Amino acid sequence: MRSKFRLVAELVGPLAAVAIVTVYGSTMSIAQQGNVTNILVTATIVVALYVFTGNSGVMSFGQVSFVAVGAFAAGILTSPTLSRQANMPSLFKFLGTTQISNFDSLLLGAGLGALFALLVGVVLLRLSGLSAGIATFAVLEITYDVLSYWDKIGPGVMPVVLVPVTTTLVMGALGLGVAIAVAFAYQRTRSCRLLRATREDAVAAQGIGISIFQHRLIAFTISGAIAGFAGALFVHELGSISTGQVYIDLTFATLAMLVVGGTGSLWGAVLGGIALGVLETFLSNAENGVAIGSLHVTLPNGLSVVIVGVIMVVVLIFAPRGITGSHEFLERFFSHGPAKTGTGTESESTAKMPDEEPPEVPLSPRPTS
Amino acid sequence: MSHLADEPVEDAPATRIPVATDRLVCSGVSVAFAGVRALDQVNFSVNRGEVVGLIGPNGAGKTTLLNVLTGFTGVVTGSVHLDGRDITRLAPHRRARLGLERTFQHGRLFSGLTVRENVELGAIAVRVSKRKARSTTARLLAALDLEKVADVPVAQLSHGDQQHVSVARAVAAAPRYLMFDEPAAGLPEGSLTQLGLVIEWAIKESGAGIVLIDHNVDFVLNLSDRVVVLDYGKVLAEGSSDEIRQNVNVVSAYLGEAGVENLAASQAP
Repeated sequence: MRSKFRLVAELVGPLAAVAIVTVYGSTMSIAQQGNVTNILVTATIVVALYVFTGNSGVMSFGQVSFVAVGAFAAGILTSPTLSRQANMPSLFKFLGTTQISNFDSLLLGAGLGALFALLVGVVLLRLSGLSAGIATFAVLEITYDVLSYWDKIGPGVMPVVLVPVTTTLVMGALGLGVAIAVAFAYQRTRSCRLLRATREDAVAAQGIGISIFQHRLIAFTISGAIAGFAGALFVHELGSISTGQVYIDLTFATLAMLVVGGTGSLWGAVLGGIALGVLETFLSNAENGVAIGSLHVTLPNGLSVVIVGVIMVVVLIFAPRGITGSHEFLERFFSHGPAKTGTGTESESTAKMPDEEPPEVPLSPRPTS
Repeated sequence: MSHLADEPVEDAPATRIPVATDRLVCSGVSVAFAGVRALDQVNFSVNRGEVVGLIGPNGAGKTTLLNVLTGFTGVVTGSVHLDGRDITRLAPHRRARLGLERTFQHGRLFSGLTVRENVELGAIAVRVSKRKARSTTARLLAALDLEKVADVPVAQLSHGDQQHVSVARAVAAAPRYLMFDEPAAGLPEGSLTQLGLVIEWAIKESGAGIVLIDHNVDFVLNLSDRVVVLDYGKVLAEGSSDEIRQNVNVVSAYLGEAGVENLAASQAP
C-alpha cells in the first residue's frame, strides 16, 4: 500500500509542478506566457537528459544533438514549401516537397531522435567513463557542423523560418507531461532496474548477468526519442530554428538544470528544469531592465549565464545530489529508513576490475587439531 | 589421492583435463599483467556438486583464476569450458546467464538499494520472471534470517550481514557454478562460524559446483571436498583437505623453512 502511494507520488509530484507552473503562467501577459512555454520545453529536454544520465550514471553532452535533429526535421517539413524553395533551394527533393502536420512532426522528431541515438549509441556506449563523455561531445559538434554546412538537408548557416507556431503554453505543458509519463513508465521496466544496478556497481552488475551495453543503449534511445520530441516542440514554439540554438549553450543550460535539480531522480530533473528556467528568464529579463517595486534594475548583459554557472558550482559543492537530493517526490516521506547513500552519478572508477588482493593477513596453514 | 605438481606444469598437454558436461574446466590458462605471469599454464576444474577450495599466498593468482573463470580477465593462452561449451571469449554477463555466479571481495553490493532489491536483482539479471524472483528472494531472506532488514539499504548493514546478502544475491540466480571470492576478508574472527554456515547452506541450496577462495586457510579446508594450491601462478598441489594440511610444499610456500620444521616437529612421534 505504502509503495503504491509512493509510486503515485513519484508520477503525480512532477505533473503537479508542471500544472502549477502552467496555471500560474496562464495569468501572465502573452509575452511572459512565451517565456513560461520556453521553460516547459527546456524542462522536457532536461527530462530527456535525465532518462539516460540519471539512470545510467554516465554523463552525456550529446543529447542536444537529438534535439537538433528533431527540431530541424519538424521545422523543415512543416514550413511552407514555397519558403523552402526560396530559402533552401539545394534540399533533397523529398525534403523540399513533403509537407506534414505539426502533430506528425512531433512523432517524426521523436522517431528520428530515437533512431539517431540508437546509431550513435551502438558506437559510443561501448566506451566508458571519461571517453564516453568526450565522445558524446564530439557527436554534438559533428551534428552542429553537418547541419550548418550540408545544404541538402537544411538551410545551412541560415535559420529555418516560417515554422507554424503551435507550441502554446498548454501544448508545452502537455509535451512535458508526456515526457514525464514516458520517463516514469520506463523507470518501472526491468531494463531500467538493471541499468540502475550498473550505476551502483558496474562490475558487480556484469558479474550477476547484466549487459551494461544493452541497457545503456535502451536508455540512450528512449532519451533520444524524448529529446527529438522536445526539439519538435521547441521549433514550433520559436517559429524558426538555427544551429546555434541547439548547440553548446543549450547543452550547458540543460546540464546545469539537471545537476541543480538532482541527477538521480525524475523529480530532480523536472524541478531543476523549472527552477533554473524561472531564474534564467528573470535574469535575462533583468538584463533588459525590470522594475522591482519602484526600483528599476538593469543587469549587465551576460550576467544571467554567469549566475547560473555559479549556482551550478555551489550546488555541486554543497549538495552534489542536487536540491532534491536525487530523491523522487515525497520519497523520504514514504521510506522509513534514513536517506539513501551513494551518489546519483557514480563515476566509473569502480568499473575497472583490478586483480586486487587484500593486505597480508596472518595465516594458519597448520592443522588446528 | 594426492597429486603433487612437482614437475613443470608446462610439460602437461593443454587438453589433459577432459572436457565434459556438468563440469567447469579451464585448461592451460596463462595470464600476464604488464609482462608478469599471473597464471602459468594452469589446469583447473570443478564438477557440479563438488566444493573446490583454492588457496595460496598473496599474489599466487587465486583471484586472477577466478576472474578468468568468470570472464573478468582475458587469457593469453588456454581455454575455459562450461558444461562442454567453450566460453573463453564470452563476456562476464553472458557467463552469469549460463549459470556461472560469483561473489566479490568486499561484497560489491548495490549499496543504494535495499537488501531485498539486491537479492531480487540476482534473479532478475539472469532473466528469471519478476514473480519468481520475488518468491525466491522471500525464501532466501527467510533462510538467512534477513527478513527484518529486507527493506533497509544494504549500506546500513554490518560487513558480515552484507556478505550474507551477497551470498544470497548469487544463490538467487540458481547458479550451476558458484564462486566465493574471499568471503571472510575483513570479517572478525567471531563471525566466521556464521559465514561458514551460510556458505554451507548456499552449497546445499544451489547444488552448484563451488569454488572457494580465502586467505583463511582453515576456513577453506573445512568446507572443501578438494583443495588446489596456487603459488606464483602455478598449481603447487592438489588433494583432499587433510592431504593439503600435511603437504610439505604447501607449508613451505606459506611459512618458509621455519614452517616446514614446525610441521616436521608436529608429525614426529
